[in-house]
Amino acid sequence: MTDHAIAASGRNQPRRLPFPLPRLDFAVTFWREANGVQRVAMILALVLLVTALAAPLIAPFDPNAQSLMSRLRPPVGFERAKLAYLLGTDELGRDVLSRCLYGLRLTFLLALCGAVIGLAIGFVLGMFSGLADGAIDDFIMGLVDAQIAIPFTLVALLLLAVFGSGLDVMILVLGLYGWEQYTRIVRGEVRKLKQMPFIEAARAAGASPWRIARRHILPNIVSPLVVQFTLSFSNIVLLESTLSFLGLGVQPPTATLGSMVGIGRDYLPTAPWIVLAPAAVILLLTFAVQILGDWLRDRADVRLRSR
Amino acid sequence: MLAYALRTLIKMVITLFAIVTLVFFATRLSGNPIDFVLGDGITREDRELLTTYYGLDGSVWTQYLRYLAAFVDGQFGLSFLERRPVADVVAERLWPTAQLILSATAFTLLVSIPLGILAALKRKSWVGSAVMTVAFLGLAVPNFVLATLLVLVFAYLLNWLPIVGNGTPAHFIMPTIALSGLLIAALTRFTRNAMLDVLSQDYMRTARAKGLKERRVILKHGLGNASITLLSVIGLQVAGLAAAGSVVIESIFAWPGIGQLLVRSAILRDYPVLQFGVLTVAIAVIVINAVIDIAYAYADPRIRLAKG
Amino acid sequence: MLRLLASTALISAALAGSALSAEITVGAANVSSYLDPGRDHSNVGSQFYYNSFDTLIGRNHDTTKTEWVPALATSWKLIDDTTMELKLRDGVKFHNGAAMTADDVVFSLNRMFQADFPPYQVRARDRFSNFAGAEKVDDLTIRVKAKRAEPLWETLLNLQQVMIIPAAYTMSLAGDPAKLEHDDFEAFSLKPVGTGPYKVSEFVPGQTIVWERFADFWGDKAPLDKVTVKHMPETASRITALKTGEADIVTNIAPDQLDMIDKDPDMKAFGAPTALFHVMIMNQNHPKLKDARIRQALSLAIDRDALNEALWLGKAVVPASHTMEEFGELYMPELKTFEYNPEKAKELLKEAGYDGSEITFDTAAGYYTNGLLSTQAIMEMWAEVGVKGKINVGDKWTGNSPDLMVRNWSNPMYFADPFGSFGVMWAPGGPSQSEGRFNTDDAYAAAWEKFRFSGDVELRRAAYAELMDRVKADPALLPLYRPYEAWAMKNAVNWQTKPGHIPYVLDFRAGSISFN
Repeated sequence: MTDHAIAASGRNQPRRLPFPLPRLDFAVTFWREANGVQRVAMILALVLLVTALAAPLIAPFDPNAQSLMSRLRPPVGFERAKLAYLLGTDELGRDVLSRCLYGLRLTFLLALCGAVIGLAIGFVLGMFSGLADGAIDDFIMGLVDAQIAIPFTLVALLLLAVFGSGLDVMILVLGLYGWEQYTRIVRGEVRKLKQMPFIEAARAAGASPWRIARRHILPNIVSPLVVQFTLSFSNIVLLESTLSFLGLGVQPPTATLGSMVGIGRDYLPTAPWIVLAPAAVILLLTFAVQILGDWLRDRADVRLRSR
Repeated sequence: MLAYALRTLIKMVITLFAIVTLVFFATRLSGNPIDFVLGDGITREDRELLTTYYGLDGSVWTQYLRYLAAFVDGQFGLSFLERRPVADVVAERLWPTAQLILSATAFTLLVSIPLGILAALKRKSWVGSAVMTVAFLGLAVPNFVLATLLVLVFAYLLNWLPIVGNGTPAHFIMPTIALSGLLIAALTRFTRNAMLDVLSQDYMRTARAKGLKERRVILKHGLGNASITLLSVIGLQVAGLAAAGSVVIESIFAWPGIGQLLVRSAILRDYPVLQFGVLTVAIAVIVINAVIDIAYAYADPRIRLAKG
Repeated sequence: MLRLLASTALISAALAGSALSAEITVGAANVSSYLDPGRDHSNVGSQFYYNSFDTLIGRNHDTTKTEWVPALATSWKLIDDTTMELKLRDGVKFHNGAAMTADDVVFSLNRMFQADFPPYQVRARDRFSNFAGAEKVDDLTIRVKAKRAEPLWETLLNLQQVMIIPAAYTMSLAGDPAKLEHDDFEAFSLKPVGTGPYKVSEFVPGQTIVWERFADFWGDKAPLDKVTVKHMPETASRITALKTGEADIVTNIAPDQLDMIDKDPDMKAFGAPTALFHVMIMNQNHPKLKDARIRQALSLAIDRDALNEALWLGKAVVPASHTMEEFGELYMPELKTFEYNPEKAKELLKEAGYDGSEITFDTAAGYYTNGLLSTQAIMEMWAEVGVKGKINVGDKWTGNSPDLMVRNWSNPMYFADPFGSFGVMWAPGGPSQSEGRFNTDDAYAAAWEKFRFSGDVELRRAAYAELMDRVKADPALLPLYRPYEAWAMKNAVNWQTKPGHIPYVLDFRAGSISFN
């Protein structure tokens, strides 16, 4: 697509943009197929996403700004509340609402990075495993088996304990989540496709393995990967909040939703809003991502079955 | 058959060996555990003295070989923190974790199977949709949030339930519910779908046509057939439950289980315990998976016939 | 469901009621992972030894004044400058039934004074290095030899590390029963035996300690039949445990929680400033902190009173110097070593040419009450004077790393003397210097020498003041405050920590606890 193409587009013709349009018709199909709960989840996910993106604009305070004189103020409407702090303040007098907003933003960011890295690792290993035979395949599948035998929460825990907690380590750990699922999917598809006549034909025609992978295999595995990605994203959201809850996530004073719940637990009987506010956001978020992820999987299942 | 079993066994041993090795080197990368175990206030000379005493001197390779040699002898080392054999430390923790998982699994089955059947039978009435909505919502509650909310209400506000440890039956209530939440949601939906599948099968119609009572049809034919798929799911869930959930739940309720032990050992670098503990968990997961495979094969006549 | 819940609550309430007779349960934030008074000097361990072990020389714990009282030794006298002779109490029994002899005492003392077991060597070096050894004179008499004249005889023989343990029992635990091996001490730490009023009848490391009354105790018999200590790691859980009947006394209640206890008619709290400083340490040798003015500024920027008001509700004690009332004649509140002066901090930073680079502050997540909170607050205070701080949370001890810049730590009073508090960690060649973050020179060593070994209190005071001047000029530490530690208990229980103890001792001996 070039500038010329845009210039050429007449008034009555549909405008062509130099980038692919968001597939609105696709979204409409989704909306039609969804049931009530799923529609709520879709709206919620959108609202949360926008809120997270806009956090710096809408948060009333710097999430880390302390006010030791206004510690542990309850949300507006309760005794001792201060009007500026809608959801109250935490143990250092920081605004709970602002911390929730920034925490949500960070959770989204971490989960996205984690899911993308996991996809990349799993995809590459799956390709190798599927295309190569013998030792490499055995080695990679051995890793997959080992990964399955140790629960991932444990792996994450070990890595965070060993390499220290911090944003970078956290992203890495979340990035390791679910790679073995991608690897298995990709490997399985590659093995199946390898037997197909059109691949053999391409190989006979002298196409490089890379070209075969890109042109023939990739298009065929996009769909299961997208489903796995969504599932993985929703599980990473859960995993991130759980690890942060255990105090193994991002370093203070930076807040994620999980760490707010974890650190605030000591104040649960005396200042429950410190925990309840981020817990509520976690509930909304996991509700949205779990339901959507689950639904996408079901849709894909139906399609796979009907194929 | 024997060759197959042998191959599986060898593969298992290799996997376990890989795990032991990975954990060993991963932990060694993080510096001298003396700085975690003994902490502060010792001179450099004393630190070296203790490093040698705790067997942490020499290169990583020397340590690894020393570890393997002892391992073959059945010596898994002393806990840095507790000064007793790691096997004792880990063994003490297995039963409480098993108890928690068994109790959560039982609770999950008791609640979700009847609910799933109900949802399938009443799928056209509000009862069915109500059950499914709740199950949907349940999927969204991370177990640490559920646990925190339970603690707030039943311990802090009402003072009804104890929250520390596993001393009495009452101690089981909140951890069990917290650990089961997600599973109940998942299993209810699964049961419902499995039941719907089964209800639409020909043999159900035949059974009804024979004039059998609806309840009997459902229980005998419906549930009987659905149980095959259920079994495999439950098995997988148990393994998942053992891992993910219990680590968090044990931490919240100070449950003296293996999850809590591993968290502590990782944070405080109690390597001997960590190595042995991870190995134990891995063996448990592998064995459970093997048992599931066998049970699954046994339950499903098609597989039984195919393999036999 | 509701009925089930209600009935369990009733059961636990009923159990709690009966448990109060002469059995109690203590919910402790931390439980030791081993029990050996010689090896241990942690704040966790100090809770537990006094109930089961005795020292030769005792102390009146009802007062912060120094009053030595007979314990396993009935009398003691100096034979010469470096020799003390002690007469042992007759008829003392260990928990295993064996009679205590001079051999046991010599064994116990020499396990520290002439340590061979590495963990003991470490403890011996920082406090017993002046002792050459102990020897038996006759069945009820022993002598302790010092290397040079010792001003702190009683103080040092009153330490937890030289509590008396049985020789034959210990040697029999591992390997050859007639020989002393390192593994004997390892085994002892899981099956401890002493002479105190309670014997340890069950010990699950890190989880549970059960004490039972020792019927053959030489002194006033224990007031309780049985005490169960249970690990309850979370503050809020511990308080709830009092309500649900899971505990009768709980430890380590943060000031923020006191309000809840005060409002509850069923429970009460007791608290006091602990004989321990939470300190901030600074690495004198880090390239960015080499200039003393930068470290002075980091210290002057911290409004410790504000920390106290906000985080401790004003209940902690902010010291002007590294000194506390418990030091007795060596208590020197008139010293002004540390102060808050943000203007001066800014000036000093400017003079020193601080380039705005990041200064990391290491802290453990949950080890010190309010530790993480105060660190975050300090970051804000630093920001006020233009210092860019960054928190690094981890359980690793980083005090020996050359990369260390600043971290928090505690300096407990291991014994009631500046030597037992400041001295253990900041002596020339001591841990702080050896770890490479604190420098001393000949002048410092000379002042230290006078402070440590002078027999004249006035000389010791003058020398200590000199040390504090050095600390002020080239700071390596800032005592933040003496934290306020509180214990909560059911209304029916009357118990408090006694002022004459080292921090955190759970004293359940006769006269320490009663019930309404």
